[in-house]
Amino acid sequence: MSERTRRALATLGRSPQTWTLLLAAALFLLPLVAGRYLLYVTIHILILSLFALGFNLLFGYTGLLSFGQAGFFAVGAYGCAKILLAIPSLLLGVLGGSAAAGLAALLLGALSVRHTRIYFSMLTLAFGMMIYSIAWKWRDFTGGDDGLVGIPRAPLDLPGLVTLDLSTMERYYTFVLVVALLAILLMYRLVRSPLGLALQGIRDSESRVAFAGLSVATYRLIAFTVAGLYAGLAGSLLPPLENTVTPPIAHWSASAEPVLATLLGGIHTFAGPIVGAFLFFAIKDLIVRFTEYWPLVLGTIVVVLVMGFRGGVASIVADALAARPGFGAGPGGRG
Amino acid sequence: MKRRRWILAGVSGLALLVPFVTPPGADAQCALGVPVIRVGVQGSSSGAHADYGRQIQMGATMAVEEINAAGGVLGCKLEMKFVDEELKPASAVKNARYLVTEWGAHFLVGVDSSGSAMAIGPVLPELKRIHFFTHAATHRLTEELVAQKGIQEIVRVSVPVYQESLAAWVFKDRPEIKRFATIGADYEYGYSTWNLFKETMKKFRPDAEFVAAAWAPFWTMDFSPHIAAVMAQKPDAIIATPWAGEAVMLLRQALLQGVFDKIQVWFQGMGGSVDVLEGITREVQQDKFKGKLWATARYIHNWPDTPENKAFNERFDKRWGRLPNYSAETTYSAIYIAKAAVEKAKSLETPKVLEALKGMQIQTPAGLRVFREEDHQFVYNVPAGRVVWDPKYPIAVLGDLKVVPAKDYYRYPPFTPVAATK
Repeated sequence: MSERTRRALATLGRSPQTWTLLLAAALFLLPLVAGRYLLYVTIHILILSLFALGFNLLFGYTGLLSFGQAGFFAVGAYGCAKILLAIPSLLLGVLGGSAAAGLAALLLGALSVRHTRIYFSMLTLAFGMMIYSIAWKWRDFTGGDDGLVGIPRAPLDLPGLVTLDLSTMERYYTFVLVVALLAILLMYRLVRSPLGLALQGIRDSESRVAFAGLSVATYRLIAFTVAGLYAGLAGSLLPPLENTVTPPIAHWSASAEPVLATLLGGIHTFAGPIVGAFLFFAIKDLIVRFTEYWPLVLGTIVVVLVMGFRGGVASIVADALAARPGFGAGPGGRG
Repeated sequence: MKRRRWILAGVSGLALLVPFVTPPGADAQCALGVPVIRVGVQGSSSGAHADYGRQIQMGATMAVEEINAAGGVLGCKLEMKFVDEELKPASAVKNARYLVTEWGAHFLVGVDSSGSAMAIGPVLPELKRIHFFTHAATHRLTEELVAQKGIQEIVRVSVPVYQESLAAWVFKDRPEIKRFATIGADYEYGYSTWNLFKETMKKFRPDAEFVAAAWAPFWTMDFSPHIAAVMAQKPDAIIATPWAGEAVMLLRQALLQGVFDKIQVWFQGMGGSVDVLEGITREVQQDKFKGKLWATARYIHNWPDTPENKAFNERFDKRWGRLPNYSAETTYSAIYIAKAAVEKAKSLETPKVLEALKGMQIQTPAGLRVFREEDHQFVYNVPAGRVVWDPKYPIAVLGDLKVVPAKDYYRYPPFTPVAATK
């Protein structure tokens, strides 16, 4: 091997892109080695990743802490379920559910984004619980406390191209993985765009952004809508997996999941919410197997992680990389 | 500083891996061709209704310990794992999948919440495992999912919501009670109880009037508006369906508002549950309910008056220092039912075990349980009674028992839908 090749390989080995590609490839190969349950849990982790990623656009990038994201997650899930029960087309279900959630976020966002800090958090909490109440009370449409059952894992119908049967766990997993990777890529582009920079500007100094001639409220509303859209996308991937949708997914306690996942992973690292989603799910999944006192153990671990890793687990890696030559600060960093 | 974080990260990572490293187990096979028979159990063990999950766990643990001490099932030992269903359908489904596909459960047992049961039901054919439901009471689990949709893997060992319509049998022969009202749990359980009660009562007493209904959602702390709204219509009788800690709060607040001076009877759906009786013992000792409080449950510890039931109570008390609640008895019996079916089938395969359940009649602490093939519901008697103080027991109990044969108040196929709305 020539010196040049070796150096090229070394550079490759140090590049985060290489690692990301390797990880994605490993995820695609997972069905070959993993059992059904591991795939099922990985789907859940991917769903929570998208959910938390959207939430972090609001929290980590724009500085708005929402406690009502589960509401939009539920709009996506119920929307997708209603569509699938009427028309068995997965693409339609996922797109329809996401669009419904985006629309709901646009409407409720318009009422929320003029407020910040605790006022914004309380408003979003109230709106989220409003959606929960609708899911619980509007029995004719949502099935009330029983929710919607018997939702089919419809085939993926790409009009004029192909119809894919996704009834097995392996195939549905691959579908969710493709959707998740596309959504993550899109978000990555978004936060590095001028729009993403403007949002970070709003987070760091609202008045400066306003003096620069940008409408703070408009940018916040865009962030809120995108976050809702991502929550809805995550939610719409759930009904084909579980075949049921029930009101608890809209409850405020479900809104805490992306908050916790993001805090665990790190709010100022792009990959933070994804790492956090993995940690949150893996930790809980393991603890509930061993003790019925799992909330106590989970709470303790979360406290230790949040206290021990100020800035989240993912930030350690990001900091270590940033300290090496050839790496800029992580995206979303306070550089 | 940096190094310390790396060490912390490393230690946490290792800690996460520990559970995946399983100790080398004995791969000895028993007569059924497996190392052990695994029973996956779920109940709600966090939050306000945690005592029901705890009772499920105690009942299951005791059955497994007894069966193993007596040599197991066809020489195979039982192993159980209990997980928290959190009263969340999503968690319950995830747990069911974990227990079967990851932990290797041969049977599933338990579940408190009807919502969880309805969510697990459709997944069972995919998991190819029988689930013995031991608390979730919605009639739709057996009527819709088994009798109409044909999901064979659902078996219910506990009484469904039919039990609560027993109130009609208790009060039908008291002509002075005419005006009925409900303070209901604001979800399907509350609605179907009230609708089934009305249906049954109208048959007995065309003169009955249903004068008011107030609905209290889960986590209601203050029932005074519901009590006031219902009392404004001057009812003779109140049928109440909030349960667990909410039942205790509701009854105490009704006492504060003097309700028991104005009404003839109050029927508390699952008021015969041990945790509710524990909660109102002092008020019962002081006769604050004036003998007007009636209740039922899905099993009560002081009935039937048989040596088997007495012995079960004594063993339970010795093992746990408490009286068995209905979710403990139903779960305990479910594991014995699974044992009987496996012994008859001489196999763990789901279709063969289901075949063995057909025509089963089995003696349990709650009395004789008979398997009904059309909807996979075990039929057995549970009385209703007046809540009384009996110095024989540490807590209030049901006395003046009214035993109505289950066949008289159970619903039968072909099932007509019950209005599941207010």
